[in-house]
Amino acid sequence: MISDVLRQLKKDFLVEFRSRAAVNTALAFAGIITLSISLAAGGTPFSTLVQAVFLWIILFFSAMNGLLHIFTREEEEQTSLFLSLNVPAEAVYLAKLVFNIAFFLVIEMVTCPLFIFFLQVTVKDIILFVMTVLSGGLALASAVTMLAAMTARAGGKGSLFTVISFPVVLPVIWVSIGATVESLQGSSGDAWNSVVFLLAFSGAVTAISFLLFRYVWYDE
Amino acid sequence: MKTGRLVYLFMPAAILMAFLYAPPAAGLGEASRIVYFHVPLAWGSVLAFAVSGILSIRYLFGSNGSEAMLDMKAHHSAGIGLTFTVLAIISGSIWAKMSWGSYWNWDPRETSIVILLLIYISYFALYGVMSDNGNRGRISSVYLILVMVVVPFFIFVVPRVYPSLHPDPIINAEKKMNMDMKMRMTLLVSAVSFTLLYVYFMGMRNRLMGIEKKIDEKIENRREI
Repeated sequence: MISDVLRQLKKDFLVEFRSRAAVNTALAFAGIITLSISLAAGGTPFSTLVQAVFLWIILFFSAMNGLLHIFTREEEEQTSLFLSLNVPAEAVYLAKLVFNIAFFLVIEMVTCPLFIFFLQVTVKDIILFVMTVLSGGLALASAVTMLAAMTARAGGKGSLFTVISFPVVLPVIWVSIGATVESLQGSSGDAWNSVVFLLAFSGAVTAISFLLFRYVWYDE
Repeated sequence: MKTGRLVYLFMPAAILMAFLYAPPAAGLGEASRIVYFHVPLAWGSVLAFAVSGILSIRYLFGSNGSEAMLDMKAHHSAGIGLTFTVLAIISGSIWAKMSWGSYWNWDPRETSIVILLLIYISYFALYGVMSDNGNRGRISSVYLILVMVVVPFFIFVVPRVYPSLHPDPIINAEKKMNMDMKMRMTLLVSAVSFTLLYVYFMGMRNRLMGIEKKIDEKIENRREI
């Protein structure tokens, strides 16, 4: 199965690298929103809570289209039937999950420096900030990979994906915002509970998604 | 129908006990009586969602899930749970206004139940989109199981990690019930009443589904003749 996962992963990265449509759109969205907020504020510093809210809203909405794209592309190009006949569902799920985590990581790597630079953010606890962003991204990518598959198989579009994803990832965004505020204000012991929460959430959602993916992927 | 009779017995008893038997809570006064409806409604909503998740597991992993229409039964349970959640939010808001001065405070427990509400509204959106999709039963069941795994994270974990305006939960870290005996009895009777009400509604919805199925089959048979 590992070879199937690696083959799928290679294919997904190659296809994405050829067009770069999803990642370019997501990065452009993140850049435009960050600049727009900075421009509208005119240099006025925000409170740490507002800064944290902006960061997670930008990350979430920038990534949403790209995270869905990985499955809708298979449906649009009519390759999902071929995949379901030749590759085990679990291998498809793991490949898409790893791709989505990598995709989210790229978005974070570009958005966070932009966010810190343009919104005049001072990070007092860098380790906590990095861990929060990474674990929050991992939790978001883990949760929405399965939901993206469901949306694509249901024949839904971006709006349905946002509707079914937002409530599921809201606790993740909520906890991530709290931990980000702590990291901007200075270290706090409680904030590490949030990182543990995010990692536990990722583990639970990935495990259940791995078990259930075949029921979404194969036709009845 | 036995459940129906029990509902007619327990529900009036719970209402009478809430207003006449239980004493008002110290500091909160008569407004505290809403607890006998708010807590059982919240319990009923969690129970309904747990049942919808369990029925979905049986639908996917059981041998005769599709014949027993377990996906439809899970859908009915989610519908009843959604109604209970809305009522729990309304009763909670009234109580919050009386206790804390405003209808909504974004307390972790309030936030949790709103997220629960949004999750199940999303479930109905997903279910509605797939009206002509042959995989509707499977996909909607997977969604219900997935959210059953996610829900404990913010129903039970988040309110314990973040400070809350709510009093200690009835089942708390010390495993003690900080309640007067009469209040405890009333709450128990009310919780049983709402559980029976859920079972009664569920039975009615499932019977209705069975009748609709039989009517559809008869119509199909006549068309074939």
